[in-house]
Amino acid sequence: MDAWWQCEIPYPYVDKSITDAADSVRASLPNRLCDPKIAADLFHEVLDEFALCDELGMNVLCIEHHAGINSLIGSNPMITGILARQTKNVRVLSLGTLVSLRPDPVRVAEEYATADCLLRGRFEIGFVKSGGTEVASSNMQPVNNEERFWEAIDLVKKTLTSHDGPFSWEGKHYTHRHVNIWPGPYQRPHPRMWAATGDPRSAAEVGRRGMTHVLVLRGPEGTRKAYEAHRAARREAGLPKVTTDNFAYAAMVYVGDTEEEGIEGGSKLLWFLNTSLKAAPQYNKFLPGAAPPQAAPGLYRTKPRADAGIAFANAEKGVTSASQNAQKLMGLTAQEAMQQGILFAGNPDSVHRQIMEFYDKVGGFGHLCLIGRSGFMTHAESKKGIRLFSNEVLPRLREIAPIEVG
Amino acid sequence: MPPETTTDRIAVHGIEMEVLRLGAGAPVLFLHGFHPARRDARFLELLGRRMQVIAPCHPGFGGTPRPKDFESVYDLLHLYGQLIETLGHPRVSLIGSSFGGWLAAELALRMPSRIDRLVLVDSLGIKVSGRETPDILDIFNLHPDKVRAATWHDPRHAPDYDAMEDEALIALHRGREALSLYGWHPYMHHPRLAYWLPAIKATTLVLWGASDGIVKPAYGKAMARLIPGAQFAQIAEAGHHPEIEQPDAFADHVTGFLSC
Repeated sequence: MDAWWQCEIPYPYVDKSITDAADSVRASLPNRLCDPKIAADLFHEVLDEFALCDELGMNVLCIEHHAGINSLIGSNPMITGILARQTKNVRVLSLGTLVSLRPDPVRVAEEYATADCLLRGRFEIGFVKSGGTEVASSNMQPVNNEERFWEAIDLVKKTLTSHDGPFSWEGKHYTHRHVNIWPGPYQRPHPRMWAATGDPRSAAEVGRRGMTHVLVLRGPEGTRKAYEAHRAARREAGLPKVTTDNFAYAAMVYVGDTEEEGIEGGSKLLWFLNTSLKAAPQYNKFLPGAAPPQAAPGLYRTKPRADAGIAFANAEKGVTSASQNAQKLMGLTAQEAMQQGILFAGNPDSVHRQIMEFYDKVGGFGHLCLIGRSGFMTHAESKKGIRLFSNEVLPRLREIAPIEVG
Repeated sequence: MPPETTTDRIAVHGIEMEVLRLGAGAPVLFLHGFHPARRDARFLELLGRRMQVIAPCHPGFGGTPRPKDFESVYDLLHLYGQLIETLGHPRVSLIGSSFGGWLAAELALRMPSRIDRLVLVDSLGIKVSGRETPDILDIFNLHPDKVRAATWHDPRHAPDYDAMEDEALIALHRGREALSLYGWHPYMHHPRLAYWLPAIKATTLVLWGASDGIVKPAYGKAMARLIPGAQFAQIAEAGHHPEIEQPDAFADHVTGFLSC
């Protein structure tokens, strides 16, 4: 098993009275509340933490979010480019540029090919569907977001794998009549591709495409179902079985010298859930396309009916909206988060045990993505967690070889 | 005796459309805005006493299907052009409310020989102000409470989600999805329509709810100035939907204009 460390570079230094009063801490919070001097310090601290991961042999991944206290990384390719030059050994995963929110996937492919060359092939490409507050920040149509997502991935892949002069693309969402990037990617045919998604329909598509499938904070049940949808889609399409190397899980992780120190560190990561997820209703539950129309009764009514009806029936089928998922996560304590498999925290033995219990519950995975720093966690605390995980837990995870699943 | 309302299903280019029909006489096509007209809407009944009202539902609204990739005003204009051909009347008048006003203005330009008179009610469709001043309230990007306050003169006219049945709420959300596809970008207008409005040949009434906060009356006045000879009138104590908040005053204006 491999591990990938990440920090979204949140900006927690907005007065609580302001975030409590705001209906959203993303998309609409004025940027006068973000002090660029503090932002600069945070960028440098986290880049140093990525460099420490490189020194200790832990891979790194870089995420992108827009216009909110949850993340200052609005430009993933820019941070990826810095990591390309500052790391020497480990692999770098972009997870990812929000490709369905960018107007031109060819430009994304061009940036990724450059990153792969700079990294001399240590690069991996991830795609995230996005939505919600990011739709407001990007101005992109939300209902056909997923359709754009897949067409954009097709176009990125075609761009990265075409080497014989210009080709033309006239798709439903993207038109680019002359595509011919220089340079192409260092890795041929192209860097490994990942996708983060949890709903059964897109999990199946990730499976058919053979991408590395990452689940973020879904807990054992949702993760197991998504992995199974991935494998079932491959079976139904007559595609060969895959190994656990095709599956990844992203959780909050913190390792301390003692169980107490680890859990205390883990508690600081919960800021991500209890403060940075707050979004106004127009960005999540009422946003067209964010939830299927069948969920509307549960979304629109202020007083749920005794017979929750269609909304409940569909929730059971796994079509809960992103806002409903967020609601479930916002009030968690560290103990609850650990019980639900979205936080692995404690001393090295304990964290290793928690990861392996989760591994067994979901049928195995080959990559652990660590949400390793969030909220008010300090630079020193973050570095300590990285050292302990890299030295005490990662060597044991490395012993777990990929196994065929399917 | 009130006119009988029927719900017809008319296939146009293979698309099954749901059309409310009532009344007799000169044909008038009502193109709805953010929500389809209710079968029991008083304004329809009042119009139906004086004319032949044909009120289709845009694909994707109500319970109607929206064909795959049918996502644009371009699609809707072809559809309504074909519907007008299918109905077969030599000439029809158009009433376009809100988003439907945009469609009606475009149709008046596309098929001038078939359009008799034009009524634009709190219509969307054009860009009036400078590039940093949005003319049309962004109903998708603002808190629902603000959208409600801007929509209604009296918010008691707003739909009560708690009282609505599951099917009605699902239809409402489907309609929002369809509307967002049709009008997302540029938001609820065509940047070139204002340039073409002076070419409208149909005699036109621009009718506005005095309290409309989605598109303010000044926008309606600008629209009326662009259409040769257009009249402009406001309806007091009405927001974005004067046909719902003041159906009698609305029907008086419309029937007075269409029958003169």
